[in-house]
Amino acid sequence: MYNLILTGKLEPGTNPRDALAGLAKLLKVDDAKAREIVRNAPVCIRRNTDAAMAERVVAAMKAIGIRIQLEPVAAAPAADGLAGTGVGTGVGTGVGTGEVASTAGAANAVSVAKTTNSAASAKPARPEQPSTSLKVIAGGKPAAANPVDKAQTPDSQQTAQAPHTPAAPESFKGFRYQLSGQPDYCFISVEIPAGETIKVEASAMASMTTNMLMKTRAKGGLSRFMSGESVFINEFTADTVPGEIGIAPGSPGDVKHLYLDNEEVFLQNSAFVASGMGVVAESKWQGFTKGFFSGESLFLIRCSGQGDLWFNTYGAMIEIDVAGDYVVDTGNIVGFTSGLDYDIQSVGGYKSLFFSGEGLVCRFRGHGKVWIQTRSVPAFASWANWYRPVKKK
Amino acid sequence: MKVEINGGQAFAHLQVELAPGESIVTESNAMSSMDANIDLTAQLNGGLVRGLLRKYLGGETLFISRFSNNTQEPRSLYLVQPTPGDIRCVDIDENGLFLQGGAFLACTPEVKLGVKWAGIVSFLAGEGLFKLYAHGNGKLWYGAYGALVDKEVDGEYIVDTSHLVAWQPGMELKLQLAGGLFSSIFSGEGLVTRIEGNGKITIQSRSLSGLGSWLNPKF
Repeated sequence: MYNLILTGKLEPGTNPRDALAGLAKLLKVDDAKAREIVRNAPVCIRRNTDAAMAERVVAAMKAIGIRIQLEPVAAAPAADGLAGTGVGTGVGTGVGTGEVASTAGAANAVSVAKTTNSAASAKPARPEQPSTSLKVIAGGKPAAANPVDKAQTPDSQQTAQAPHTPAAPESFKGFRYQLSGQPDYCFISVEIPAGETIKVEASAMASMTTNMLMKTRAKGGLSRFMSGESVFINEFTADTVPGEIGIAPGSPGDVKHLYLDNEEVFLQNSAFVASGMGVVAESKWQGFTKGFFSGESLFLIRCSGQGDLWFNTYGAMIEIDVAGDYVVDTGNIVGFTSGLDYDIQSVGGYKSLFFSGEGLVCRFRGHGKVWIQTRSVPAFASWANWYRPVKKK
Repeated sequence: MKVEINGGQAFAHLQVELAPGESIVTESNAMSSMDANIDLTAQLNGGLVRGLLRKYLGGETLFISRFSNNTQEPRSLYLVQPTPGDIRCVDIDENGLFLQGGAFLACTPEVKLGVKWAGIVSFLAGEGLFKLYAHGNGKLWYGAYGALVDKEVDGEYIVDTSHLVAWQPGMELKLQLAGGLFSSIFSGEGLVTRIEGNGKITIQSRSLSGLGSWLNPKF
């Protein structure tokens, strides 16, 4: 017996629009419904199918260019041990819902975890059989865990008592993503559901699926231009089927992900990497005294709204909970939350400003978080500047 | 031969121990230190004419080095790559592996290194006229700037041209614009490589052009 999983992937050379039309015809639903099914991929379209039937469906789907994955099912409902509710460790990303079809108790059970923010009703054929276990995974982290492992951990056993927890897709926040190459050269892979869009800093795209469409927009205008950054930002949209994009920030260092829920975060000018469309990133004039002396530039980026936000550092990242006063060297600030007020001071009078090398610092007040980087960009620039080639006239 | 990759992701290097009679082939100037009685022979990298072509058009070196241990004791040497970043060891078989110019660091003597014409378009995209093709039976070490990330290509996939490091044969690489004409000029993405076929590719998580565009406004 097999479960048939619609992977959302297309056979090479298939036009996504044709595939959608074909799917709609095959399932006898209208185009909008078909689009919704694909948007929710991977999704189980048929359960407990015998081999002959499964083969027929796979062949039919292949003919229209849609890939189906077969998932073996144990004949008896022997999946009790698998009813693990794995609670992931996604940082600030909320918890998504996933669904694991009843699987054989073997270690090679394929786990199909699905996280989308659309209604659960879009999933066709989801009978609430006793053998069907629900698995919750963190929305922000990949479903790498094998269900057997999950079931064996003690804390997941405790939470495994409610296999029928109603799926609440609304609670899922943001895109699924994966960080690799941490901490030195962090690389972000983000899965984009069909029709969704992600904003990415200019020239940071390193790889993507072929259905991602790029649009370039001007952003920040004058302030970005003055600070020497690219005045453009790219928007990548997954056309018709789910896509994936790999993002490589420019500076060597780490990446931090936040899910903004109508919160405000200020970032140093070059720290922004990518965000969901619900996040508004705008340059904010810091004023001459704050801005001019803060080492980096006259502008901060204010990120507000709702959605994912990724920002990067040069060097390692340290997160500091500030309660009261805290002092950071101006070159080491990456970002801070909006609950903090700050001003620029010299550490110990004007003599030390010129001779100690510490110069100006940023003094934060209030309650919030500050992210600092363990290397300073101006320091690196002034170190490397001696070795830059001089143009001969 | 015992080879360890040390130094973490940021500044990876190889620590090689050669048993008596063993030898290792490396990119020229990859050796940073070694026991004094290891023998070094420089050999032409694939014939004089091709070697010269590669040197001046492909950005590769004319010579490769061969380090041999002709003593009766095990000897060790350290190999480094010019860029900060990760190094990886792969098993090479008859199917072979393609490497972007400059990625090759070292290999066992059984691996055959050849060059393949990468096309004039590749040259225009700043990637050199040749790509390295390694085949045979042995181990090979290559490195890149940044961390190395694997992608399974299933059908087709797009990679920014400056991020591609290695790929399996049987896939076709085509250059295309990243978006429309306006987007491609102003997005900073420019040309991208479209990969068609099935197989594994390896990309580096940083690129020199990315470093440049991050650092240059700071000077």
